[in-house]
Amino acid sequence: MNKTYGCIFDIQRFSLHDGPGIRTTVFFKGCNLRCFWCHNPESINLQPEIQIYSHKCVMCGRCITACPQNAIHKNSKSFVFSRDLCIKCGKCVDACYSNARVMAGKTVSALDVMSQIIKDEPFYHDNQGGVTFSGGEPMLQSGFLKTLLIACKEKEIHTAVDTAGNVSFEKFNEIAPYTDLFLYDIKCIDENKHKQVTGSNNKKILSNLLQLDNIAKEIIIRVPVIPGMNDTEEDMHMIGDYLKSFKRITKVQLLPFHNMAESKYESMGMEYKAKGLSAPKKERMQELASVISSYGLNAIAVS
Amino acid sequence: MTNGFTYADRLDALLTAKRAQTEKKFLKFGRTLDLDDRGNLVAPDDFVFTPIPNHKSNGFFGPYACGLNYKKLLHEHPVTVDENACLLGSWMVMLIDYKKPLWNPDISYAHLHKEQKMYDIVHGIGGVQHFLADYSLGLQLGFNGIRDKIAFYEKDCDVSKKEFYQGLAACVEGIYDYITRHIAKARELAEQVADTVKADNLRMLADMSEELLKRPAKTFHEAVQWMAWFLVVGDMYNGCASAVGDIDRILKPYYDNDIKQGILTEEQAIFYICNLLIIDNAYCQIGGCDEFGNDNTNELSHIVLEAVHRMKIPASVCVRVHENIDKNFYYKAVKYLLTDRTGSPNFIGDKAMTEGFMKNGYSRKLAVSRVKCGCHWCAIPGKEYTLNDIVKINFVAVFDTAFKEMMNSGQEPSVELLWDTFIKHINKAVAVTAEGMDFQIEHMHEVFPELLMDLLCEGPIEKGLDASNGGLEYINLCVDGAGLAVVADSFAALEKRIEKNKQITWDQIDKALKNDYKGYEDIQLMMKNSDHYGNGGTIADTYAENIVKEFVAAVKKEPTPKGYNMIPGLFSWANTIPMGKAVGATPNGRLAYTPISHGANPLPGFKDSGALTACANAVASVQCGYGNTVPIQLEINPVTLKGEEGIRTMMTFISVYLNKMGGTLMNINIMDKEKILDAHKDPSKYPDLIVRVTGFCAYFALLSEDFRKLVVDRMINE
Repeated sequence: MNKTYGCIFDIQRFSLHDGPGIRTTVFFKGCNLRCFWCHNPESINLQPEIQIYSHKCVMCGRCITACPQNAIHKNSKSFVFSRDLCIKCGKCVDACYSNARVMAGKTVSALDVMSQIIKDEPFYHDNQGGVTFSGGEPMLQSGFLKTLLIACKEKEIHTAVDTAGNVSFEKFNEIAPYTDLFLYDIKCIDENKHKQVTGSNNKKILSNLLQLDNIAKEIIIRVPVIPGMNDTEEDMHMIGDYLKSFKRITKVQLLPFHNMAESKYESMGMEYKAKGLSAPKKERMQELASVISSYGLNAIAVS
Repeated sequence: MTNGFTYADRLDALLTAKRAQTEKKFLKFGRTLDLDDRGNLVAPDDFVFTPIPNHKSNGFFGPYACGLNYKKLLHEHPVTVDENACLLGSWMVMLIDYKKPLWNPDISYAHLHKEQKMYDIVHGIGGVQHFLADYSLGLQLGFNGIRDKIAFYEKDCDVSKKEFYQGLAACVEGIYDYITRHIAKARELAEQVADTVKADNLRMLADMSEELLKRPAKTFHEAVQWMAWFLVVGDMYNGCASAVGDIDRILKPYYDNDIKQGILTEEQAIFYICNLLIIDNAYCQIGGCDEFGNDNTNELSHIVLEAVHRMKIPASVCVRVHENIDKNFYYKAVKYLLTDRTGSPNFIGDKAMTEGFMKNGYSRKLAVSRVKCGCHWCAIPGKEYTLNDIVKINFVAVFDTAFKEMMNSGQEPSVELLWDTFIKHINKAVAVTAEGMDFQIEHMHEVFPELLMDLLCEGPIEKGLDASNGGLEYINLCVDGAGLAVVADSFAALEKRIEKNKQITWDQIDKALKNDYKGYEDIQLMMKNSDHYGNGGTIADTYAENIVKEFVAAVKKEPTPKGYNMIPGLFSWANTIPMGKAVGATPNGRLAYTPISHGANPLPGFKDSGALTACANAVASVQCGYGNTVPIQLEINPVTLKGEEGIRTMMTFISVYLNKMGGTLMNINIMDKEKILDAHKDPSKYPDLIVRVTGFCAYFALLSEDFRKLVVDRMINE
């Protein structure tokens, strides 16, 4: 386990929103979709990268001295960071004690991750609490993921994998025996729209779900509700209709769009494409959930 | 019952009267309260009490002088009767507030001053009560039984003990006088009220209290009335009746008997308990188990919980959690915590409390009988002198002493040397604390004996010895440490920034601290953003664990010089502000004279996310392990834990922490961040807002600004 490495960007303890009970969520870095509203922009690239929170910067200049690439320069009011020169060595982050420069993502061994996971182990065993592997797309690091899942099952910890499903089904075959719950994201059913909003069509995603229904222990579908993308009754009818005959789906959760990620985009020097969109209202979320419920599914609007 | 005189209407009226009292307190004292809301009424402006001195300092000392002055106070103190009440009893002031000076200046402990000050020790000399009376014993004896018992033992006593018995007898005379005046007041009011139902109720209450002066309580209503009387008169002495203990066990025989006879309903019982807790916000334990692990939860556990839930006033009810606790009861307790948002109940863990106390050499049977009855503490009813939650050692002051000593020693400074110096001073601080407690036990009875507690304990009347002077069977003295996180984080920051990363020198940090970081803001930021105790696995966590190990070893290595057992714990109570004011800037980036960290909690904001389980792990890892608590204080935003799922999650969280991780006590605030921020700006907008400050809950609007800020800072960093 200490020889299997992966790249993660966060481990969240006392996580209550990614599966049942009290959980620890491990966020894998790297995703092969490019959803324009992505709530975790730091999860997209597979490699570690630098995040800058300029409001914390005290302009001490230690990062400039530390950078071997001369990628940081001072202008009259602030520091300018040339990301194209950055080799992600992290020396500027080590030098920064005001936490203005943070490394998003780090390469860790499965053992490192397990040592974090077991910290809250006593809390997992009630109400199906446990561990959720999320991201990013955890299935892109399936070897690392599988090692962690097996390690959890050895300790009888409930496991969940939060996936967008855009990988070969082989990967699901590999991990399904050690996964108690799949949190499976469905953005929309229309293939062209899916390509338009995520950069990828959903053929593989939908066919994987169909096959997964035969081997998974339990599946919870998660639908991010994005204004203008999938927030009409029609969108929900399509999703409800598609999901109605699956056997292992116990719940469909509708997750509202939020714009709390904006500052993260800024910190990573990325353009925020969902700017100006506002979060759907609670009542609207409930209306949409009731459409899906009308197909005999247990749909819940998460607030 | 007639219209307008239902239990619900009467409770509403009593609560309205309580709100009016809260308003009065605000008008009279402003926002200055740093204490529990105890249930006492505001004394009229023209009420003056002048004690009779027996000493040139103008103070009064010793059993007889204290007894006489108590009797005088009870004779002069105004009495009030509420026509909606189901219990008589009211109180406004305490004798101790008029005891100036509190300590007899002839009995000097100047030889301890230097070190007490150096380590900022709250030494406990002059500390009153903070142990537990035995209400079962009191109910069994009744006031007449207590009076007869004093007379019996006084008759042939040694002449040296005469004064003690005279003091006790004076107290009982005062109590008879005070109750009799309430009875007269009730009869007087009965004549005045137009409503015959109300008049009959008042006459019935007067008759009942009259009976209770002649014999012990027989019914549930009488038992609750008797408790109310003792709470009132006990608090009027030195606040000593702020605790009842395991109320559900104490009242159970009366409840069962009345139910069997068909003279009591559950609604009646709830109303009586409500009225009791309005008269005095007493610390109670409910739930728990016997020595074999059988659940103690009974109908009264539910009734007490229900009473607190209905009133939503600051309460001090604690649920004792164990593996076999009644699931419905536990569910209800957690549900009320989450939905009432008054910080009540709090939760104590039977496992760690019982097994820890047994490590002092006591049986399991005795250990389970040691019940929760104060902010953070337990005591054996009527048998144990404890000085609980009084004696505190400020770890931050000890650290400061060690740091200065090292920097001035001429030796090459290092974290290792600092650690050794710190441990040396921890041991010295414990030693001087122990001496102080011996001094208290030797002399307190000559200054301000525990006369009211003596009435309800086993031993003092029999032996003619005050509870503070060896009158009780057990003495287990509580020694708490405070400010753990500040010291742990300071050590970690020094190790990281000076020795590991070599970013600054000892000389630089020394100058930065001496200048309170003025001109050294970058160093402050650097120190502040080092490792924090609470995250788990950091050097700061290791320091915290080691500090506690050394502290426990220092407390447990030997008893006090006079041979009394000491029990370590970690709790700052509300002393975080004064203790902070005693110490300059610290290497964790803390500015001079600002508050120290709360109890054993990590510093607010120690972790960006997932702090609840991290905090639970951290505080579980620094338990002292001898049956005194190391409480965890948690601030939880209600959006985190919603609905049924939220209740289940919290049930898991609490039971895992207390049953599996070795946790002792959990104090939890469920509080809306926006609401608390708004209330801080304008407290008058939220007169009913209750927060858990620490081991106690209080009206937010009555707290001093410093205290409000403390609570707010914890919340916004949640």
